[in-house]
Amino acid sequence: MPLIGKRKVRFPNAQKPNRPTSLIPTSAMNPSDSNQPRPGIPALFTQPPPIRDPLITETIDLQNATLEKCLPFLKGIHSAQKDFNDHGVPALQRDLHIGYLYDALEDYPEGFVAMDASRPWIVYWALAGLAMMGEETTRFRERVITTLRPMQNPTGGFGGGHGQTSHLAGSYAAVLSLAMVGGEEAFGLVDRHAMWQWIGRLKQLDGGFRVCEGGEEDVRGAYCAMTLISLLDLPLTLAPGSQARGAGLESLTSGLPEYLSRCQTFEGGISGSPGSEAHGAYAFCALACLSILGSPEEIFNRHMDIPMLVSWLSARQSAPEGGLSGRTNKLVDGCYSHWVEGKPDSTEPPVNSLFSREGLTRYILGCCQGNDGGLRDKPGKIERGSKPSLPDRLECRKQQLFVLIFLEVFTMPRSGQCVFKG
Amino acid sequence: MEGEYSTDPEWASVTPIDLDDGSSSGAMPLATIAYPAEYLEATSYLRAVMAANEMSERALNLTKDVISMNPAHYTVWIYRAKILFALDKDLNEELSWLNDVSLKYLKNYQIWHHRQVLLSSKAHFPTFPPKEADFLMEMFAQDSKNYHVWTYRHWLVRHFRLWDQPRELEDVEFLLKADVRNNSAWNHRYMLRFGPRDTSLPDAGMVNAGDLSTAPTEKGKLSVVDEDLVDGELKFAQEAILRAPENRSPWWYARGVLRAAGRGLAEWEGFVSGFVSEGAVKSSHAVEWLADVFAERAGKEAEAVRMLTMLKEKFDPIRKNYWDYRIRKLDQAVA
Repeated sequence: MPLIGKRKVRFPNAQKPNRPTSLIPTSAMNPSDSNQPRPGIPALFTQPPPIRDPLITETIDLQNATLEKCLPFLKGIHSAQKDFNDHGVPALQRDLHIGYLYDALEDYPEGFVAMDASRPWIVYWALAGLAMMGEETTRFRERVITTLRPMQNPTGGFGGGHGQTSHLAGSYAAVLSLAMVGGEEAFGLVDRHAMWQWIGRLKQLDGGFRVCEGGEEDVRGAYCAMTLISLLDLPLTLAPGSQARGAGLESLTSGLPEYLSRCQTFEGGISGSPGSEAHGAYAFCALACLSILGSPEEIFNRHMDIPMLVSWLSARQSAPEGGLSGRTNKLVDGCYSHWVEGKPDSTEPPVNSLFSREGLTRYILGCCQGNDGGLRDKPGKIERGSKPSLPDRLECRKQQLFVLIFLEVFTMPRSGQCVFKG
Repeated sequence: MEGEYSTDPEWASVTPIDLDDGSSSGAMPLATIAYPAEYLEATSYLRAVMAANEMSERALNLTKDVISMNPAHYTVWIYRAKILFALDKDLNEELSWLNDVSLKYLKNYQIWHHRQVLLSSKAHFPTFPPKEADFLMEMFAQDSKNYHVWTYRHWLVRHFRLWDQPRELEDVEFLLKADVRNNSAWNHRYMLRFGPRDTSLPDAGMVNAGDLSTAPTEKGKLSVVDEDLVDGELKFAQEAILRAPENRSPWWYARGVLRAAGRGLAEWEGFVSGFVSEGAVKSSHAVEWLADVFAERAGKEAEAVRMLTMLKEKFDPIRKNYWDYRIRKLDQAVA
């Protein structure tokens, strides 16, 4: 893919005259012609769950609406799907996704101003997706350094853009992007000493971290901080002058596992901060953070009630959609395939064999692939228009992530468990 | 560039700091945005006043302008909070402006941290401003499971010690009446009833958590149990289950209540069995509950395995790997 010249980011359905024609037989293209699922798809993935309460509430209305939108995709009878295997699973549209990710690194129109504080993330997600697709990311080295240099603050860390306060999430995305392109100049860009001092200023007395000075404290902050400390090999000692050190803490890791332990809820899952609701994305951050702090098997058992945690994690997956939800009674959403499924493979039972990979495969390949590359959280949003409204914009941002997730789920070698090949 | 700020005499003393996108290095920066001219100009002035740490009325107005163009700009919110305190502004006025912004940008979460920063000022808010609950209910009318709003509400409860304020439980019950599947409301209820109240210790989702001398399996267990309260909560959960037996929320709430009280799942065996008669299973959660009861009872392991097998084969087969894991664990225990 040539990288010369800047391209505008494409939008789903925007002026795409030569959309490839579907290979599905005409009889199966229109759901109204035949509502029968394509052969090879188990009933588990095409039928409503066996027990449904008569009482209808908003939660059920939303779930039903989502199910209605997913069903034609799950049955393999939506006109946008193509290249099915014998199990009724549409192929991974590799080239489209790769093209989408390259485009995601280029220019965005003015409607994307809401992402002005998230540009390190866009770079990180797109590069990570490309790396997982087997594309060469080192060719972006110079452009990544150019992009990130003005975002670094002399007081330590990277902000979301030039002149923006340093943020742990932005710094995480920036440093991981630099790691992906590699090279002396990329690593040399990071002011490690200032980064160490800055992270020390974010350390809180309860063991956690604020995401930025004056910002909120949550497990995202903890995970991003530990990732930075570990990747940059920063000293664990708290920098002199940091408030936490003044208050008696010694190390950047002081009280951190205990803080994460306090985020486990009565449901077994893990919340963003103590007392909030268990949530898949935060559970990922907390468990990933613990895995940096120690051997997962040992440290999970020391700080988490494992039976409760495993039960809650497993309950994120539901049929017939096959995808994961972030919280109890919330909707299936492709992004949790990353946050929930992407957990370290070391709990007992191994989290990677906790979920139905077939369900996830069907959901992500069947329901989440956009017509023009990228992945969406669920069907029914992207298709709707060519002019990006706010949800589309958010969606677009997520989509990049989904390509990444997708690859985590499907391209890593897994002892031949994944029978679905494109 | 001629703009609103460059032509305004009030801003004449400020030299804006233009956006550095890195392109002066010769390489093309990634993920660039074609910013509208007004945004580019306002943020150039923002960089300048922030670099000078200016605490002024004009800077405050500028933050509002930038927020109106991009409420996800976290830096501007933090700067705004600093100015509000430095100029000793009327924070109630700020709150009422914030109400409108919050309703307009429902998914934004910088707003909620900003609100928390304001309300945490004991000087301005020595006691709980009662209108706060009304506004939160207005938010929940738009999105009853908004994570940031619930997180903020939990913070309010702890900061102002509202656990026993009738309004908290009333609002939870109102929301559960409207949608008994609102898990966020169930979570809030748990924190009101069983969450740790000792504010000299760090906050936690369960009592006993984060204390290295206590095993993780002891999390949530109260040292002093109000049995009447526990019985009342169990009854509340049972009523909710009867309305919609396949709703996971009250089942797990009840597990949390029993855990807090140090009572086992077995005391619900009679109630739960009612949902698991042969040929007419009304709740997969009831089947799971019975499996857990039998798993703990000597000689009943086979019955537990039968329940788990029902879940695996019929009522929750997508979670086959989990049910198999549970069955394996039981087999190991027996062997």
